[in-house]
Amino acid sequence: MVLARYRLETQVERGLALLPKEELEGFILRLKEGYEVFGPTRKGKGHVFGYINSAQHLDLDYQTTILPPKKLLHQPFETLFHFHTEEGVIPGERKLPRQVLFGLHPCDVHAVEILDTVYMQEYEDPFYKAKREKSLIVALNCTSVGEHCFCASMGTGPDLKNGYDLLLTDLGSEYLVEVGSEAGAELVTETGLSPAPRVKVVQKEKRLDWARRGFKKRLVTHDLERLLRENFCHPIWNRLRDQCLACGSCTMVCPTCFCYNVVDKIDLGFKTGKRQREWDSCMLLEYAQVALGHNFRKERDVRIKQRIYHKLLYYEPQFGTKGCVGCGRCIETCVKGIDLTGIIREIRGEHLGKSIPTG
Amino acid sequence: MNTLASLYQPVEAVIADIIPETRDTTTYHFVFRDSQGEEFVFEPGQFNMLTVFGIGEAAISISSDPYRGDGFTHTIRHVGSVTKAVTRLEKGSVVGIRGPYGTGWPVDLLQGCNILVVAGGIGLAPLRPVLYLLGRERKAVGRVELLYGARTPRDLLFAAEYDHWRDKGIKVLLTVDEVPEGTIWEHSQGVVTGLFDRMKSTPENTIVLTCGPEIMMKFVAQGLAERGFSPEQIYVSLERRMECGVGKCGRCQIGPKFVCKDGPVFAYAELLSLPEEVL
Repeated sequence: MVLARYRLETQVERGLALLPKEELEGFILRLKEGYEVFGPTRKGKGHVFGYINSAQHLDLDYQTTILPPKKLLHQPFETLFHFHTEEGVIPGERKLPRQVLFGLHPCDVHAVEILDTVYMQEYEDPFYKAKREKSLIVALNCTSVGEHCFCASMGTGPDLKNGYDLLLTDLGSEYLVEVGSEAGAELVTETGLSPAPRVKVVQKEKRLDWARRGFKKRLVTHDLERLLRENFCHPIWNRLRDQCLACGSCTMVCPTCFCYNVVDKIDLGFKTGKRQREWDSCMLLEYAQVALGHNFRKERDVRIKQRIYHKLLYYEPQFGTKGCVGCGRCIETCVKGIDLTGIIREIRGEHLGKSIPTG
Repeated sequence: MNTLASLYQPVEAVIADIIPETRDTTTYHFVFRDSQGEEFVFEPGQFNMLTVFGIGEAAISISSDPYRGDGFTHTIRHVGSVTKAVTRLEKGSVVGIRGPYGTGWPVDLLQGCNILVVAGGIGLAPLRPVLYLLGRERKAVGRVELLYGARTPRDLLFAAEYDHWRDKGIKVLLTVDEVPEGTIWEHSQGVVTGLFDRMKSTPENTIVLTCGPEIMMKFVAQGLAERGFSPEQIYVSLERRMECGVGKCGRCQIGPKFVCKDGPVFAYAELLSLPEEVL
């Protein structure tokens, strides 16, 4: 139900506005009056979604971030509650600030929509829901494409159709701002952005066409379900068993991975503590281990196959969508160069020169 | 229960009784501490997430009579961190409970059917609520047989109840892997599938409920298939690691199934449709 509401909100009004780049600072400062702002900022050689104090911290010319914006909705470490070891739960309340997730690329917005389904269908995750309802998304279309991007294959980019409150497109000296929700329309009014002529949409399309020609990677999704079902015993899985280090990096950087572990952290006095959940990874040895030591996915090939099959086959019956948005982070981060698109190419026999139907 | 954490926040329950079962297994009876637990009802085959505060949480099936009004029991084998910590608790100790979760045994399908229950070791615990139910509703079903196997005679769970079950018209066949020297044992020896030759159950109008180690359930399914049973009439209860019980933590997934909310009870035919081999 909540999802339907989010989607409806994105269709309420489609306004257009212009944000000249020299006015970005003022725009951010106005946002900060009502929200905490998180956006892409430089860190070492890469980018992260960081706390934004000023537009000077923002770097909107980024390709991708190390961790996806998921961390702002489903934190790497989250306290579930505090307890007394003999008495039980210690009641407590938390206040959450309103936040703007600024500069999300289309793939990451699609990933947030997938997480909405994961965490809010059937049993609602109270932590995710609370943060999600306090979050606005100011997305940013991709006018250039990264080395590992394949969003076009997954239908999640380089442009965005919905799922945003505001959507920016870099037109050179200014951003075209499209309104996707009532909250977004209010932001445009509050920040005093000027309306944009329709011709700006033509400029936007030209830039996106340019981006669409820039993809170096693709993943052909045509008939993928049958392909995966028939290749559960493909020799590639044995090879990957020897190649993969099972370090879990691919899942840590994935914008749609949702698994977690739960631990009780006890205080020094052994009387009180807190229950905490932490991101977990199906690639790690202990993930599927139960009491007495039995491990349902002991072998690395079984674990890596689980990751790939989950993303490309199992999400569909679970959540009605594929679990991969083509952000390329798992490829970027893998020290052994394991490439999801390469795995599918090899299963298809594409590397042997077989012709592949497009779709 | 309206706090931010409510889905993951357990409700406090108190240990009301402790019943030793075997050398490594104990049955605990719990009652809720406050009025929060008054609405607690469960289906046979469902489980709770049991918290020992400071140690963690584990998925444990409910082993009591679903019609018993005053709380519920867990029969716990002390083999993991939480289940070992439970041994340090005593009457009056506080634990946390979330649940009940998961699909139960297909009790709605049982009416008018013959029922074959096959259990191994601790696997009898999630089946005990069904046996209570069948004992109570004996006339509503046909033939009922229980085949139960354990490691040794000392490892048999709920041994004091077998005669009661027999009185209710449930045929009970027992087997153990080993009989230690000096132990008197009048029943079978060997794996539980060895009891198939002695059972009366046939595929006709029969539903099979089985729980035990996966290797046992695999041979149960195979052995029954050889006797003409179809995968559609066999129901199994699976064990997987669970951190949440509500389909969020991801740990229990098998293919597209979350064992916590799509299971733990599955039709064997459903498992056969998955890409990976489960049993």
